[in-house]
Amino acid sequence: MTTHPSSDTIDRLVGLTPELGTFAVRHRRDKVVAATQKSEEGLFDPALRGLTLAERLLVALLACTLTPSALCAAEYRQRLVDLNVEQKLIDHISSGALEQITDSRLRAILTFTHTLITDPVRADQAALKALPQAGLSTPEVVTLAQLIAFVSYQVRVVAGLRAMKLLEQQA
Amino acid sequence: MSELIEIKGFTNATLGWKAWLDVVSLDSATPEQIAVLEESHPKAKVSDYYLFLVHQPEVLKQRSVAFNAIMYAPGGMPRAERELGATVVSRINGCVYCASVHAQRFEQLAKRTDAIIEVFNDPNTAGTSARERAIVQFSIDLTKNPDSVSPASIQALKNVGLTEPEILDLMHSVAIFAWANRLMLNLGEPVFG
Repeated sequence: MTTHPSSDTIDRLVGLTPELGTFAVRHRRDKVVAATQKSEEGLFDPALRGLTLAERLLVALLACTLTPSALCAAEYRQRLVDLNVEQKLIDHISSGALEQITDSRLRAILTFTHTLITDPVRADQAALKALPQAGLSTPEVVTLAQLIAFVSYQVRVVAGLRAMKLLEQQA
Repeated sequence: MSELIEIKGFTNATLGWKAWLDVVSLDSATPEQIAVLEESHPKAKVSDYYLFLVHQPEVLKQRSVAFNAIMYAPGGMPRAERELGATVVSRINGCVYCASVHAQRFEQLAKRTDAIIEVFNDPNTAGTSARERAIVQFSIDLTKNPDSVSPASIQALKNVGLTEPEILDLMHSVAIFAWANRLMLNLGEPVFG
């Protein structure tokens, strides 16, 4: 039997299909499922002004790499490849080699991402203000913070559901 | 509210919060921004937090739908336990503001503060029952190292009586505070007294 891949990112990443109990449990909270998917679509909307789609996907890849979340990192890496982003740049992010990033705007964005993911309490006023200094507008700063924060949420929902699904399959 | 708790920099006192960058002024807000503020929180129009996030109204709107559905929807995990999970995450991430708000909510719902005092003192040993200790431990693990969460982690919750819908609600509560803490901690700061 062939099945179409779900249009819901988390269902697809975790491999949740309607015959699984874990799918049914998740979809009891359909409002959360829908808002999660719409949050992702909004944050990665190619038409969103400000940060380019490539910048946003690089942020997501770095966030997942550092968390770490192998499943989610592979997803964002593939989206970068599909967008024809330079392979060397993707590799630098995947290996956490931020010192190799020469563009000062992208480097500021990724440095902020690094701090927020690895040690959020250290991301102080100076860390935030480095972003306008690198040329980001306030709406761009809001997009960036929401994006990093959303990915922090997404990786945890994926990890929890994956564990629940594996337990179901062991039974 | 009952007794004031102040432990290791965390408190259940009511705190303010101010943004480090420019917020949207209500005078210049678009009708869409006003609508999203009104949907997000009863006090959003006088809150720096919401007035800052509404620079991107569509993103704020979906965040608020998710947040409110996770923390307030009926059924599933008792709301006090969702608040306990939220407080543990905020304690681990060092978000004093979020910890204060959700410590208060726990007390309002559970009519006690013992678990909060324990979480503020040392989350690793906190919990006034086997069920609470399991909830706290899962919240710590999913916060610190999501990929370490395994089938055994889920089984540990089931062993103390959590149902799968309750476990889902706990996962969502922990995850949404990975999101919320990173905004509160990094876009502004708490204001004391």
